[in-house]
Amino acid sequence: MAIGGAVTPGRKAKWAIIDIIVVVYALVPVLWIVSLSFKTKDTLADGNFIPRDWTLQNYADIFATDEFIRPLINSLGISIIATLIAVVLGMMAAYAIARLDFPGKKALVGVSLLIAMFPQISLVTPLFNIERELGLFDTWPGLILPYITFALPLAIYTLSAFFREIPWELEKAAKMDGATPGQAFWKVIAPLAAPGVFTTAILVFIFCWNDFLFAISLTSTEASRTVPAALSFFTGTSQFEDPTGTISAAAVVITIPIILFVLFFQRRIVAGLTSGAVKG
Amino acid sequence: MTTTEVAPAPAGRGAEQPAPRRHASPWKRRAPLLPALIFTIAVTQIPFLVTVFYSFQSWNLVRPGSQYFVGFQNYIDVFADSTFRTAMLNTVVLTVVCVFVSMVLGLGLALLLDRKFTGRSVVRTLIITPFLILPAAGALLWKTAMFDPVHGLLNFVFGTDIDWLSAYPLGSVMTQVIWQWTPFMTLLILAGLQAQSKEVLEAAQVDGAGRWRTFASITLPQLSRYLQLAALLGAIYIVNSFDAIYLMTQGGPGTASTNLPFYIYQRAFEGFDVGQSSAMGVIVVILTLIVATFTLRLMFRTFDVSGGVK
Repeated sequence: MAIGGAVTPGRKAKWAIIDIIVVVYALVPVLWIVSLSFKTKDTLADGNFIPRDWTLQNYADIFATDEFIRPLINSLGISIIATLIAVVLGMMAAYAIARLDFPGKKALVGVSLLIAMFPQISLVTPLFNIERELGLFDTWPGLILPYITFALPLAIYTLSAFFREIPWELEKAAKMDGATPGQAFWKVIAPLAAPGVFTTAILVFIFCWNDFLFAISLTSTEASRTVPAALSFFTGTSQFEDPTGTISAAAVVITIPIILFVLFFQRRIVAGLTSGAVKG
Repeated sequence: MTTTEVAPAPAGRGAEQPAPRRHASPWKRRAPLLPALIFTIAVTQIPFLVTVFYSFQSWNLVRPGSQYFVGFQNYIDVFADSTFRTAMLNTVVLTVVCVFVSMVLGLGLALLLDRKFTGRSVVRTLIITPFLILPAAGALLWKTAMFDPVHGLLNFVFGTDIDWLSAYPLGSVMTQVIWQWTPFMTLLILAGLQAQSKEVLEAAQVDGAGRWRTFASITLPQLSRYLQLAALLGAIYIVNSFDAIYLMTQGGPGTASTNLPFYIYQRAFEGFDVGQSSAMGVIVVILTLIVATFTLRLMFRTFDVSGGVK
């Protein structure tokens, strides 16, 4: 087949152009909002890609009050705690699914997947009422509990896919070579499992960080309101003042760290998916 | 005290451990799975039972003391409600279109990223950016940066003067959802592509298979498991789309872009009609369970098949 032919310079150029188009498609909205966030109120609507009048006023505005900083702290704290608990519980479950055989395993996996598909919206009203009764409404645990619940099936599923790929015979081989069970686990299995656990933790964190529905219905004050919910209140003032600049600045502030975070770890994420299997 | 306790322990360990390990009870083997399972079931099913209970009550929060048993009246009201039917249709359209389009785009992007070229890792990160952005921020970003009639890039690029969100509400929401979910599909499919053994691909090349033949006979079958996973997970989350609609259109204009989650939220938190919104919640759960059962069966079959091949 001619299609599988050699890579010519022309072909390379063609691919390069396709790559550029794709990146532009993915990034234009982001770049545009970065540009909006640096524009002054008067030049917001001028349609220039590069701001004519650079200003940091929008950033100063969002950090001037607790309206944005508090939710940022809430978001980070709630997401990190929920991620840690979900990944630990998920690892135990995934280990059982990947390694042990017992009757009803399939049914149990099915149940956990069904819970992942459970429409969150149908739980919001009762959770709202239950949490108010228990005094959990508008507190950190009030959000952490549902986040763990809905993150767990994701964690179990991803982890057991990773665990299934681990060549567990290596553990036995290490023991035959004189390693203790602890050594066999920490020196052989743990390094193979680490990329999977890490990837899962990132996915779970993003899942918790991104939630909007629970955040907006189970919180009412800055005590536990997370960033997504706080953002929706930014738009609320739009009748009196155009919040485009402020919204843009807030969007940039919460987006850039995540991009940097993943840029930093992403080689590990994607490579982790493959190298474990190849090297093992 | 210490001596009496320490002494029997090694003996017990040596004598008893091999036996229970060989005949370990199934419950012992299930044990690591139980905390997660019990936790998730408790947090999802207790509220769900409460939802079922509410759905048989007439209960409006603005009218205190209005709570009483009405049987199936809420369900009858819901099915007679034309907004409910619109919301249902919108949900189906939104999910099917978004899953399909983002999977096709995702497959294309994943194939693109699977090749070696300079700056690949940077391009890869930039492409997955939309998925990493907070959906709420993504929705606001499209609302203010792209669709806005005054600041919007779309009008600027096309030289038009359209208020996209009122002219094409569902289309606009779908565009945002697709933009958001394509990277997720890309990542999953890319994982599938990279899991392929390079030896097999090289062998195919040595045997004279062209790029398309290799793709169709080796890559695609191997990928089917990842494609299904992508479709399934995508569908689960896109059915529940709430952020985009809440922040971009508020379901409007009218009910043009109202989907089920948003309508339920509206009835519960803005209309305070706990009874009817719970009835809708139960209906959504039942429909989800039907779809999920088919999907799960498909998944398990796929895994059995791939297990057999291995």
